[in-house]
Amino acid sequence: MTTMSRDTIVSIILLLFCGFLIWAGYQIRDPQFGELPPAAWPKAVSWVLTGFCIVYFVQSLLADRAGAEPATVTDGREPGLAGWFRWYFNPIVCLALYFTFLATLPYFGTLIGGILLVFALLSFLGGVTPRLIVNHAIIAVISVGAMWLLFTYGLRVLLPRGELFPGI
Amino acid sequence: MILDNVITAILELANLKTLLLMTVGAMAGLLAGAIPGFTIAMAIVLTLPFTFGMEASQGVATMIGVYVGGLSGGLMSGILIGIPGTPSSVATTFDGFPMARKGEPGFALGLGVWSSFFGGIIATVLLVTIAPQLAKVGLEFQPWDYFALIFFALTVTASLAGENMIKGLISGALGLIVACVGEDDINGVQRFAFGNDFLGEGFAFLPVLIGLFAFSQLMSDVRDTAKARKSLTDMGDVSVRIEHRRAITTIFRDWINLVRSSLIGVFTGVLPAAGSAISNILAYDQAKKASPTPEKFGTGHSGGIIAPEAANNATAGGALITMMALGIPGDIVTAVMLGALLIHDVIPSPAFISEQPTIAYAIFIAFFFANFLVLVLQTGALRGFVLVTKVRMYVLASIILVYCGIGVFSLNNITNDMWTLAIFGVIGYIMRNLKFPLAPMILGVVLGPIAERWLSRSLALSTDISEFFTHPWSLFFIIASLFSIGFSLYQRDRGKKVWTLWYAPLLMLALTIPLVMMGGTVRPVLAGLMGLWAVWMLVRLPRNARAMQST
Repeated sequence: MTTMSRDTIVSIILLLFCGFLIWAGYQIRDPQFGELPPAAWPKAVSWVLTGFCIVYFVQSLLADRAGAEPATVTDGREPGLAGWFRWYFNPIVCLALYFTFLATLPYFGTLIGGILLVFALLSFLGGVTPRLIVNHAIIAVISVGAMWLLFTYGLRVLLPRGELFPGI
Repeated sequence: MILDNVITAILELANLKTLLLMTVGAMAGLLAGAIPGFTIAMAIVLTLPFTFGMEASQGVATMIGVYVGGLSGGLMSGILIGIPGTPSSVATTFDGFPMARKGEPGFALGLGVWSSFFGGIIATVLLVTIAPQLAKVGLEFQPWDYFALIFFALTVTASLAGENMIKGLISGALGLIVACVGEDDINGVQRFAFGNDFLGEGFAFLPVLIGLFAFSQLMSDVRDTAKARKSLTDMGDVSVRIEHRRAITTIFRDWINLVRSSLIGVFTGVLPAAGSAISNILAYDQAKKASPTPEKFGTGHSGGIIAPEAANNATAGGALITMMALGIPGDIVTAVMLGALLIHDVIPSPAFISEQPTIAYAIFIAFFFANFLVLVLQTGALRGFVLVTKVRMYVLASIILVYCGIGVFSLNNITNDMWTLAIFGVIGYIMRNLKFPLAPMILGVVLGPIAERWLSRSLALSTDISEFFTHPWSLFFIIASLFSIGFSLYQRDRGKKVWTLWYAPLLMLALTIPLVMMGGTVRPVLAGLMGLWAVWMLVRLPRNARAMQST
């Protein structure tokens, strides 16, 4: 039995996305004026994208059938979901921290939220020892503090302030 | 007239603030270019928020400082530690690192620094002379031609994705879809919004670009904990003095290589999407082929450093030619610059140089001056590089991640842009891992709305689709697009399969048609010469085919 390569799975997901785009293209309101209706360009691009995705799907299927080495090989990572999770653990945690920063921005504001984010990222990526914690805290305060000062007073940008610390 | 414009532009730039900004930009570019993992595009992207509060010419001058600095900075880490700082310095490493290992790092750096400088100066001369002429050609363009030109830019971008051409095409189309989200520019109708306010506002181009490119790059940099905790000083010795005099003498002796590589660089830059990452390798390859001692390449040969470094700096000039003359960004860097100009209500187009001569010539002068600035700053940057190399990658990545968010916010002062950044950071990271090239998507996002606008204007003038084939420039670009789609197959099979022998003569024959249609004297003559050359290639084709089959 031939197993599906990552490219085949991706092409199927893309084809489903194309289906959704085509459906969404027909939901765009037509104001009945102008030579180019608002839906025409998105629809055209959606159909072109669908065509490319079909080619990608067929290419991937043929590669699977031929038993060829997939173009997107796994770079020495362990198989299975656990292996995948371990491989992408750092980016996943970093992204989660970043999204937490964004979600808490209305409460902490840019300065405090930014310092907390940099400190959390540094401690997660660099490791945690008493000395490193102090180093990371200093780096976080200086770097984000300098950025905040530069943007607030140098570039006159009113960065988001938090409800908990309305002054900064 | 030109002299007046040059003098006005010099006066515009010759103030302490602009010079200081350019110096800081060039220094930042040199350092960013020197750090592996931080590309020039990323350095430019990170500079962008600072330019919002500046005047247009100041902002662009600063970015040009970063651009030229980044192109030159890549050679430092490539030569000293064997890891190219940017993709534009990959070929420099082939001979630069072996030369440094042989005990001549100062000479290798000198060759790199001075070749970059001379390459940049040659490109400036071409930029000043070619851009206004190309802009005059651009004034002939009608809506159909513009649409076809953008179509060509997108197909070239995708075709340069090499073996992953289909992924390049998908990536480009996805970029076009992203640009469709939100309110339609022409009719004001919401598209792909589904009643959601966030989607209804659409995605601002710069947060999308920074997310796709910089944010996802940072995620890639921190994936491996061991690598993220390393600093560059863990990888090699970086303390050295540059040998200027010996390097200049060697470069002057190899001036043909310098000029040829610079021309390759400019030509590659002019082509949409073909940036310095390609030109440095092309120039290296040509230098090796033309050298009487090709076997010495790869062992620390001076020609192997001169060629890529001259070419990558010259590419910047070429990319600026296309952006300024036609308003089409050639690569990610010029796409960001275009975005910066648009923020200041400056819209590059064929009329840009004649209508906004101060800014246009300020760009020329800034590019010229940036090359001198970078040359002077290299020695200092080398010391700065030594300091930066002591910083761990994860520290840089963490700080830059937050900086990206703050920088993006300052664009429109809305937090939605920060969310856009994060969302496209995730998309960019996924695409990187699935080996989808990001450049076509970014150009798709930039060029999508422009393409739609020109298509709308074309259809407003005439609903007859055949207009795209009867306007000579439009036909020219459509033919070039069709051939560019097959270019990656041609590259793959060149010298191995007989069909590739048909590619060049057929392309030339096909292009003669629009050239003849353009009328005048020069273009039909050019078409005639191209036609004759194509016929000559076709006559020789059977003999070449037999030779290919026998080998």
